[in-house]
Amino acid sequence: MKVAVIGWELPPAFSGGLGIHTYNVFSILGKIIPVDIYIPDMGYSFPHYPFNVRTVKIKSGISGNVYSHVTNFIDAVNDYNEKVVENFKPDGVALVHCHDWITFSAGIEIKKRYNIPLVVTFHSTEFDRSAYFNPQESIMKIEAQGATEADAVITVSNLTRDVVAQNYHINPDKITTVYNGVKASAYAQGQALNRERQVLYFGRVTSQKGPKFFMEMARKALEYEDNIRFVMAGTGDLLDDMKRYAEYYNMDDKFHFPGFVEFHKAIEYYKSSSVFVIPSVSEPFGITVLESMVSGTPVVMSRTTGVGEAINNALKTDFWDTDVMSSYVVSILNHGSLMDTLSVYGKYEGMSFTWEKSAMKTLEVYRSVWKI
Amino acid sequence: MGKIRNENVGGLQICMENIIFYFELHQPFRLRPLRMQDQISPEQIFWEEKNQEIFKRISENAYIPATKSFMESGIHSTFSLSGTFIEQALKYHPETIDVIDDYVKSGLCELMSETYFHSLSSIWDEEEFVSQVDDQRKLIKDTFNYVPESFRNTELIYNNRIAEIAGNLGFKNIITEGTDDVIKDHNPNYRYLAPSGINLYMRNYSMSDNISFRFSNDKWSGYPLTAEKFIKWVTESPGDIMNLFMDYETFGEHQKKETGIFEFIKYLPKYMEENGLTSINVKEISKHHKAMGTVSIDKTISWADTGRDLSAWLGNSMQKDAFERLKSCNYNGNNKIWGYLQTSDLIYYMSMGNPEDFSVHQYFNPYRSPYLAFIYYMFAMDILCKK
Repeated sequence: MKVAVIGWELPPAFSGGLGIHTYNVFSILGKIIPVDIYIPDMGYSFPHYPFNVRTVKIKSGISGNVYSHVTNFIDAVNDYNEKVVENFKPDGVALVHCHDWITFSAGIEIKKRYNIPLVVTFHSTEFDRSAYFNPQESIMKIEAQGATEADAVITVSNLTRDVVAQNYHINPDKITTVYNGVKASAYAQGQALNRERQVLYFGRVTSQKGPKFFMEMARKALEYEDNIRFVMAGTGDLLDDMKRYAEYYNMDDKFHFPGFVEFHKAIEYYKSSSVFVIPSVSEPFGITVLESMVSGTPVVMSRTTGVGEAINNALKTDFWDTDVMSSYVVSILNHGSLMDTLSVYGKYEGMSFTWEKSAMKTLEVYRSVWKI
Repeated sequence: MGKIRNENVGGLQICMENIIFYFELHQPFRLRPLRMQDQISPEQIFWEEKNQEIFKRISENAYIPATKSFMESGIHSTFSLSGTFIEQALKYHPETIDVIDDYVKSGLCELMSETYFHSLSSIWDEEEFVSQVDDQRKLIKDTFNYVPESFRNTELIYNNRIAEIAGNLGFKNIITEGTDDVIKDHNPNYRYLAPSGINLYMRNYSMSDNISFRFSNDKWSGYPLTAEKFIKWVTESPGDIMNLFMDYETFGEHQKKETGIFEFIKYLPKYMEENGLTSINVKEISKHHKAMGTVSIDKTISWADTGRDLSAWLGNSMQKDAFERLKSCNYNGNNKIWGYLQTSDLIYYMSMGNPEDFSVHQYFNPYRSPYLAFIYYMFAMDILCKK
């Protein structure tokens, strides 16, 4: 009884939520049932994984073999899906599990060809990635097909479950929410740093993540409190716009834009900041929320960030309501009692999100498909 | 009262005679969700729409039908009305006052005194405390032409000193919680005296909670709770008096009409009569029952949460911070507004609670978040007091 997983990325190669999720969940599930993971050949990887990795070489849409050289994303995706089907090893496989639209067409074909049940996970939807601005028809079509053909659907929050159910006309009973986890030990180790009056943004600087609202919040906070620093960590197509915004409003001396930040530096930013703000317009889950919480850093988050539905010890606001967002940030900075309480209870709550729970919940979905 | 009391002090007392119903009627002026950017006057910081909506709803679900039920059933009870409750009733739902007034005029209902603002003044400023008690007494006199003889402090917050002050203010009776610590040596089903001499009555919390918390809980072994069953438990209890103290919202709001709570009230007199029990007011107890000795309570207790102490208000650092801010506020404007900010509920909303009290706190918190309660309170203080 083997599970074939069709993924897209694995650490150490470019790791978004999808890669982190695939690695952590199947490291645990791999100890319970045999797992084959199909991923594109990225040219580099860890020497060992706690599951069987089957790499697939992509030829179209890329130059060289690394992602950063993708020249035509759709071509690369199509090629990958065809290659997965060609190279698929069906022996003993009792379920195929696809992650996001970029793997759905291979999963649908394998289900038909070998009569194996299909589970699809939505780490995000086209609506999230486009921030509801011009979602691409062709991608929505694949997402709808995947969800329709699947025997069971997994989403990373109820927020995403509702998006999938409503937009793709899927019976909600077929969809299970499996929350992501966090490896708390990685954030809890090392020295405690003195927290500065520093407010952190950490994520891609793209319209989906709402960086503009972070800038607006900063401007409003500075109207009331002069002594605050802001860090916008991450890269993306809006980064230059954000730098210009800071200059235009004469707050560039309050801002630091470190660009891409590697893991250890990220922990340092969490631990030295007093508030983490995530103003995402549409965030299916938001693993950074958990990272911040287990680091003891209070979180101010948009209501459109999925993990918020399962969290009490964070402050939530509409992503566009920067009056309220700045009020929360300044309150945390000015009242040690509020910061300490959010910090301690947040850490405790964040630590309850483990990958073990995510893995066991995923296994329950498999069992519902197998009817055992 | 018609029965011969068992004077055997050491042995079990099997002649339960009286049921004492005491109800808290209180509503706070909740703060509206405030932002740093709000340019508003102190008068505008209160959540008018929400306060009105809540009062009207509870009045129609509970205050009015419950009062009519008790009156029609001829049951005596004792009310404590905070000043803010009376203000809201007059402002949002005056019929509530008329119905209570009828009950008072019928002679069945005793009115108690407490602080006007249902505040924590007793634990930080005696002068402020006394002045708030005077204000409440005056309002009771003006509204119902009634002079209270009994006193209860906010959420039954109590210690020897508070009892002494109440006595000095002319009150004959005071009530508090029968905490585990106190009732292990003193059965709450008797009359006692505080060291300063005032009559002291302690809540029988398990029998009270059987109605207020457990009435509609179908997982509870006592479910369903009928008047017959409850009265049987009362008669089987050792002692003279059964002190049933609870929030008045129990009848119709916490326990909705559909649970059968009003039928429960309706059938009480029948089973009380069958068992020789009568209901009396707090001020009547000392006429019928001897004191079973003096109870000294140094440490401050209350009826709140599982801790039965001050932790519901001063349990975490946000609450302590907010309370300090209140105490040091130099506001010189409208005394009413200053008083509304002292209402204990506003600080109670900031409680993180124990896990076992969490659902109770969530239920009462208009913002569903202790953090927001703190943030709004501190912004209100920014508007009221100079930094």
